[in-house]
Amino acid sequence: MSENYHHDLAIELRGVCKKYRFFSLDHIDLDVPQGQIMGLIGPNGAGKSTTIRILLGLVHQDAGEARVLGHRMPAEQVTAKWDIGFASEDMRLYESMTLGWHMNFIRSIYPTWDAAYAQVLLKRFGLLAEQKIKGLSHGQRVKSTLLLVLARKPKLLVLDEPTTGLDPVARHEILRELTDVMADEGRSVLFSSHNTQDVEQISDQITFIDRGRIIDSMDKETYLDRWRRLRLEVPSGIELPVLPGIIGVRQEGRLAVATANAFEPDLANAYENSGAIVQRIENMTLEEIFVANVAHSREEVEA
Amino acid sequence: MNTWVVGQLIRKDWQLNRVLIFASIFAGILALAVVQLATEATAVVGSVWFFIALILVGCMLPIGIVNERKKQNLAFLMSLPISSIQYTTSKLLSSTGLFLIPWLTLVLAALLSIGVRGIFPRGVIPLLLILALMPFVGFCIITAASLMGESEGWGIAANVACNSSYGLAYYFLCRVPAVMSNAASRVVVWNSTILKILGTELALIPLLLGVTYFVQSRKRDFV
Repeated sequence: MSENYHHDLAIELRGVCKKYRFFSLDHIDLDVPQGQIMGLIGPNGAGKSTTIRILLGLVHQDAGEARVLGHRMPAEQVTAKWDIGFASEDMRLYESMTLGWHMNFIRSIYPTWDAAYAQVLLKRFGLLAEQKIKGLSHGQRVKSTLLLVLARKPKLLVLDEPTTGLDPVARHEILRELTDVMADEGRSVLFSSHNTQDVEQISDQITFIDRGRIIDSMDKETYLDRWRRLRLEVPSGIELPVLPGIIGVRQEGRLAVATANAFEPDLANAYENSGAIVQRIENMTLEEIFVANVAHSREEVEA
Repeated sequence: MNTWVVGQLIRKDWQLNRVLIFASIFAGILALAVVQLATEATAVVGSVWFFIALILVGCMLPIGIVNERKKQNLAFLMSLPISSIQYTTSKLLSSTGLFLIPWLTLVLAALLSIGVRGIFPRGVIPLLLILALMPFVGFCIITAASLMGESEGWGIAANVACNSSYGLAYYFLCRVPAVMSNAASRVVVWNSTILKILGTELALIPLLLGVTYFVQSRKRDFV
């Protein structure tokens, strides 16, 4: 176990940089507390998979520090990976072998393999151990990979776009299983996706990443509390004031929409005082928050 | 060294490749049986089949390494408690070990058939060893390209280069008097030319595997 380790953190990234020819991860700071589910949301090519590969020691960062379950990565990756369960959308099992063969293979490596739980998962996911991987649908393959990960009872689950390409029923089954797994409060999860609905459903904490930068990170409830959309009527001759907490205003004629990332009731009063009429204050979905956040971040970078 | 997990990876490679290993041994033994029919035609056909069996298994085993990356099994393996260099170690050990099973079996069987049945004179033994080591060196080249190149392209290029060079190597070997002059002899003759060729082949095997290990150990990004 490394020195100066924050025992309450399952994942700790500090100033992590990685430079490729056409893409860079730029000073990534990320904390995932023990027992929490962190959703990592970003568009395609945002840096989610690179961040995860650094966490697993598969890619070496150029600068910064990465610790997983207290182990420095990549130096202590072997020790760390005994307690990490990793599944990704681009991970494939051996097509010519059966699921049962894979289960035996994983069981031969991990003493923590829970055979009874594996049988429960087989039944719950509707899988057959005798079936060859090449005969499985995409959803069944994802479920098979998750079974192999979950039955070894890892302390940390790292899931890179696990629900991508799944039909709604398979997605529901997998998310339900993940929710059940989270009943074990000692287990931490990093769940990356560009599907905000999936992340919203199971995450406690949410981090947005775009173009290799973390643009925001906080708990889900705070996001939903702080972000609001204000629909305004702006009489002619009235100019909307620039207010702190408002990250964007889109106006067409007499109608305007202001997006707040730090909503306070005083913001509505300030607009009313300027002569505008606040027609409605709307909650935003996580997807709307994500899109607005990314757009705002890109504007800031380009400015 | 994480020997337990490396051992399990080697066991896994054996399970994935054992059909190929048994098939190559069967094909090689069948080829030697054809040689035993003791006509000029069967001797030539059987010898060619024998070397094809060695060459094929030397090509097919490294294809498994390329396929592991191409078919995205590598992410699954690298999620296990191993480092990239431990993965490389398991691949070098398993591939070389698996190749040695048919190679040793068939070369020993060929030596035995020469010694016991006498279809070929014993003087051909040095030539047999030189020719049998060529697919071994080729196997090392293809394995090195597959692991270091990290792409199907490098694996195919190495395969094509090696397979097209066996015929050429045999052509030039036939023009080396020191190698061919004693091939029809009733006794085995080890001259300096033969020993140099065998020594070069034997030296290339650990050199290629060692360079592969060294290059892989210095890689910072693996998947």
